[in-house]
Amino acid sequence: MQPPVVEICHVSKYFSKVIANSDVSFSVGKGEVVALLGENGAGKSTIMKILYGLYSAVEGEILIDGKTARIKNPKDAMSYGIAMIQQHFSLVFPHTVTENVILGNVHGWIRLEEHDRKVKAIADSYGFDIPVTAKVGSLAVGIQQKVEILKALYLNARILIMDEPTAVLTPQESETLMQFIKDFASRGNSVIFITHKMKEVMEVADRIVVMKAGKVAGIVDSRSTDEGELARMMMSSDLEPAVREDDTEAGSDVLSVENAVMTDRSGLRLLDGLSFTVHSGEIFGIAGVSGNGQDELCEAICGTSHLSSGSIRFMGRDITSESVRARIDAGIGYVPVDRHRDGMIGQMTLSENMLLKKSYGGEWVHHGFIRQKELDNYTADRIKQYQIKATGPDDSAHNLSGGNQQKVVLAREIDAGKHLVVFNQPTRGLDVGAVERIHHSILSEKREGKAVILVSTELSEIFALSDRIAIMYQGRIMGIYRNGELTTEEIGLLMAGVDYEKAQ
Amino acid sequence: MISILTRAIMMSTPLLLGSVAEVYAERTGMMVTAIEGIFLLGAWGGFVGTYMTGSLAVGMLVAIAAGVATAAVYAAITVLLKQQQIVTGTAINILAGGFCAYFQRVLFGIPTTPLQISILDRIPIPFLSSIPVIGPMLFNQNILTYFAYIVIPVSYIVLYRTSLGLAIRSAGENPEAADASGINVNRIRFLTVLAAGAMGGLAGSFYTIGYLGMFTTGIIGGRGWIAFAICFLGNWNPRGAMFGTLVFGLAEAVSIYLQSTGGIAVIPNEFVIALPYILTIILTIAKRNFAVPAKLGVPYIKES
Repeated sequence: MQPPVVEICHVSKYFSKVIANSDVSFSVGKGEVVALLGENGAGKSTIMKILYGLYSAVEGEILIDGKTARIKNPKDAMSYGIAMIQQHFSLVFPHTVTENVILGNVHGWIRLEEHDRKVKAIADSYGFDIPVTAKVGSLAVGIQQKVEILKALYLNARILIMDEPTAVLTPQESETLMQFIKDFASRGNSVIFITHKMKEVMEVADRIVVMKAGKVAGIVDSRSTDEGELARMMMSSDLEPAVREDDTEAGSDVLSVENAVMTDRSGLRLLDGLSFTVHSGEIFGIAGVSGNGQDELCEAICGTSHLSSGSIRFMGRDITSESVRARIDAGIGYVPVDRHRDGMIGQMTLSENMLLKKSYGGEWVHHGFIRQKELDNYTADRIKQYQIKATGPDDSAHNLSGGNQQKVVLAREIDAGKHLVVFNQPTRGLDVGAVERIHHSILSEKREGKAVILVSTELSEIFALSDRIAIMYQGRIMGIYRNGELTTEEIGLLMAGVDYEKAQ
Repeated sequence: MISILTRAIMMSTPLLLGSVAEVYAERTGMMVTAIEGIFLLGAWGGFVGTYMTGSLAVGMLVAIAAGVATAAVYAAITVLLKQQQIVTGTAINILAGGFCAYFQRVLFGIPTTPLQISILDRIPIPFLSSIPVIGPMLFNQNILTYFAYIVIPVSYIVLYRTSLGLAIRSAGENPEAADASGINVNRIRFLTVLAAGAMGGLAGSFYTIGYLGMFTTGIIGGRGWIAFAICFLGNWNPRGAMFGTLVFGLAEAVSIYLQSTGGIAVIPNEFVIALPYILTIILTIAKRNFAVPAKLGVPYIKES
């Protein structure tokens, strides 16, 4: 029997003691399409980056055509015929399609016209309609992805890795991509694609490798499984006990989002007509795989992005087109997903970071001068209250650990958000102790009578804290349920875009 | 009139070499902010080399070596140690000034009369130089100017028609993509800066061995920065650099001419001297749609 084209044997990888992959083994045959399915952080991308030589494995080995392969960098991978299309394209935007395709693969004099013809011929052989002399930056995302594929085809890749290839595509573009994958595999090549969308998996994959917490949770044949089984394998079943109190009476309406639509430049709908209302004294959990419009929704509520259509009402007032500052003044707090980019300034002191949103005026600014003493006292008080490990109010923010930085942002935003606090993945990347502490803070805000929006990709977190749960998928809300109404499996299906009520 | 144009072409030479050097480097993402210092060390190196040996060829080689050495210091700090390019360049420029002044004194003491060297001869090209008007203007220049003529088309071809050029341009636009294609981004940046240093050193030497025949510490007087600005105005390509250079060369020639004839009564002399600099500001404001290399000035740090 012919050996499999790729065989991954007992590969493990750690990032400073955090396990990214643990004892991962699976194989890919000739002409086979294998899907890597799993939640965010399950280690899917990591194992593929190891195969492509971007990361080095700590343990285990990789066999290509039955022989041990030493892949130390992408160049090595390419020499084995492996190509990877990453989530973020590696394209040089001001260059033409041809220049992008031949980058790194030509020597000396370049006869552009000849290369144009050659690239065009490869594109035509797969029915890609690509203007090879156009600048890549001027093309639509779907076409740019085809340019990435062309790069692989130009190198005669026979093993194609795709990291969430449909994440940025419209449904129609996804359809053509699926066609290509089938076509490419039918010519004796192999495809590994990473995804969390079950529909695609069922449609195109021959075999499915389900990953969970860095390990292979199971390998199944796509003909002998169904979406329910896959969801069960993907989700973590051992949920933490809820610290949430019993359901409380819903208070008055604080925030109402009506028919919110947001489109990006290419017309792709990031938010696709969603509506919901959040009440005082309520934690409204938003579950979903990241990148399904949660960040955009948070930004629309806090005013850093604006809706294309639809409206947002806050405390009975239409704030759809109000500025960020007006919304801060109205009492909306926002803990952004990327605290380093949007939440704090590392080089500044903790006091200065506390002042960030109130630098226009208010209690610590008097006639344009900062009341340093009051500000420092306040900051010192918050350091104590939130048990932030810092030397004092004049410590630089970047000296703090991730968890303590997050507490600083949290302290500021909880005070700023008098009526509503939006938490976008507040515990991402934090250790267990910090997570506990932050969960405690979120619950106490609810007790204070504030409205809370909690976006999280961790279902355990959603279950532990939320009163109601909305599931987002591709910019839409798949449904809003009371906590306890749904099982993990049902939520998993909704997160993957399957309407489970119909599926039953 | 012809003599002004001849002089304009002549004065364009170092600016052209310097701005094309900058084009190469900036296309890889490296702003060579040490260009002023590279010019100065090139000028000094050219002078010292020629004075010591009596050979202009040796002078040029020393100038190139001095330029490369300065660029190597700059590249080591910015490419290898990933330090801020503007700060590093400024520091090197200041250092270069002190270095030249000090060693000029160490080598030559304080001479009573300025030390002189003979300068590069004009080489009239047979036939071409006897074409009326443009003949003496274009084809009765020194060897550095002829070299500059060749640099323009060669650079154009290198940048747009060779794999090296593709690698250079990619390194400045999307180093991650270049890296993923097997191109060693930091190596190409380092080597391109060295090459720019060689060209910049040669450009600087023009002021001593191609024009004045002597060295003063103020000899460059911001012309390195003008070359730097021309690279921007020329939209990071050799053809644009050529046009930009001619404009500045002309401004400088007019300015020298007016100074030598005592100036025009209505326009103050100071304005004439400031002309090239004022021009830089006006052109920078007037020009839109800069094709700035996306990662210009950003160190490339590879994730592991």
